[in-house]
Amino acid sequence: MTDRTVTGQGLPGPLLAVLPPSLRRLVAEWPVGLAMRVEELRIRLGRPLMVGLNGRDWFVSPRGELTPVAEEAYTVHADDVARMTQLICQASLYAVEEELRSGFVTLPGGHRVGFVGRAVLEQGRVRTLKYLSGFNLRVAREVRGAADPVLPFVVDGPRRRVRHTMLVSPPGCGKTTMLRDLVRQLSDGVAALDFPGVTVGLVDERSEIAGCYRGVPQRDVGVRTDVLDGCPKAEGMLVLLRAMAPRVIATDEIGRAEDVAALEEVFHAGVSVLTTVHGASLAELARRPALRYLLGLRVVERFVFLGRTRGVGTVECIVDGHTLEVLEVPRC
Amino acid sequence: MLKMAGAILVCLSSALTGYMLAGGLTARVRSLQALLVGLQNLETEIHYGATPLPEALREVARRCGPPTAALFETAARYLGDPAGYTAGEAWQRALEEWRGEAHLRASEAAILNGLGTCLGRSDREDQVKHLRLAREQLGLCLARAEEEAARGVKLWSYLGLTAGPALVLLLL
Repeated sequence: MTDRTVTGQGLPGPLLAVLPPSLRRLVAEWPVGLAMRVEELRIRLGRPLMVGLNGRDWFVSPRGELTPVAEEAYTVHADDVARMTQLICQASLYAVEEELRSGFVTLPGGHRVGFVGRAVLEQGRVRTLKYLSGFNLRVAREVRGAADPVLPFVVDGPRRRVRHTMLVSPPGCGKTTMLRDLVRQLSDGVAALDFPGVTVGLVDERSEIAGCYRGVPQRDVGVRTDVLDGCPKAEGMLVLLRAMAPRVIATDEIGRAEDVAALEEVFHAGVSVLTTVHGASLAELARRPALRYLLGLRVVERFVFLGRTRGVGTVECIVDGHTLEVLEVPRC
Repeated sequence: MLKMAGAILVCLSSALTGYMLAGGLTARVRSLQALLVGLQNLETEIHYGATPLPEALREVARRCGPPTAALFETAARYLGDPAGYTAGEAWQRALEEWRGEAHLRASEAAILNGLGTCLGRSDREDQVKHLRLAREQLGLCLARAEEEAARGVKLWSYLGLTAGPALVLLLL
């Protein structure tokens, strides 16, 4: 959201730019080695400043040092939160009404700021948020090659087509990172598999995959990828189908009945589908009515299960959607 | 010879003072008129474009022309400062720098200050309400300023022109 230019040693400039000076002072001087490992910053009014590092929480002291003790941490003041609110929205809350409703904004570089506050309801739905009191700054990092172990199972070599694939895992296991790299590689082409690039339509409802800033992808999603940013998945898939003639349509976190209905349209249009879904097993997916219907169609050809057994993004196993046989359990 | 030079100087400075005082009244009217147009433009940018404040202020400055443009331009510059000024602080700083140039009264500056504390802090509807309220208040100030200017401009000009020679006559 911001056009300010702030540079630091390690943390990305767009993230530093939304931090109020009092907090920026604490984190701007972190050495590159430390800053490069930061996954998120947690800023909660009246509570200690926290940083997520390698899957673990640390507190930040008033001198900017990391400590495991909450009592030694810098406490976030009301002024910090007020200034941060202004910095995030360029002092223009009216310009981010939609983002306030969805609970996050995307920064240049694809980084994301999530926030909570008091919800203002209108006819039972969230109209906006006020009294913002907590922020989560998530650092966006691309993992190029994350999809390498999965690609041979997704690409149908002899027919040079992409199989309908669903990435399945609980939150925080690298589904989105994997999907982004899959999209990039399928769009650019995979020389090792003799696969030429194909046109990919990407519906990025929450701007997580391509990290668009003002409609322009901030992450590398491939040369043949068209991104429909901020559009509801169900509607977006149909728009792409009609407008951009994609060979593959990719989207994140399906689960509602309308998503599944739109997916059916895409399947029948002969376009391959890449998608992700929250869950830990097929049985768990089948307990959700919309997904049970989707599984019943038996069109998804590959289920890729991700986990954290050997770090975020571990491919736990790949299941053939037709035979339900486990194709590979890499290094399990 | 010296007396003549002194008399001319007294006449000139008296006339100049009169013109400056009259000019101040005219400048105040022009500033208020330009401000009203500027705030109308800002309302349009916010209401129809939902344009972020720094961009909206720069756009308004571009359309305003000097000297009112300086207020909007400076506020936009402060908003882009890495020091992290809030909209209220940026507006207040810009207003302080610009106020002298605009010949505004304290009560008129207070209206603008009040507007600054609300800028960007709420949804579009609310912003429009604040901008309209400020415009209404400034509209009343403009009517008063025009009235004062209608009387004052002639008064100060003539007074400046006549007070100098009168003083010279008294001194001679």
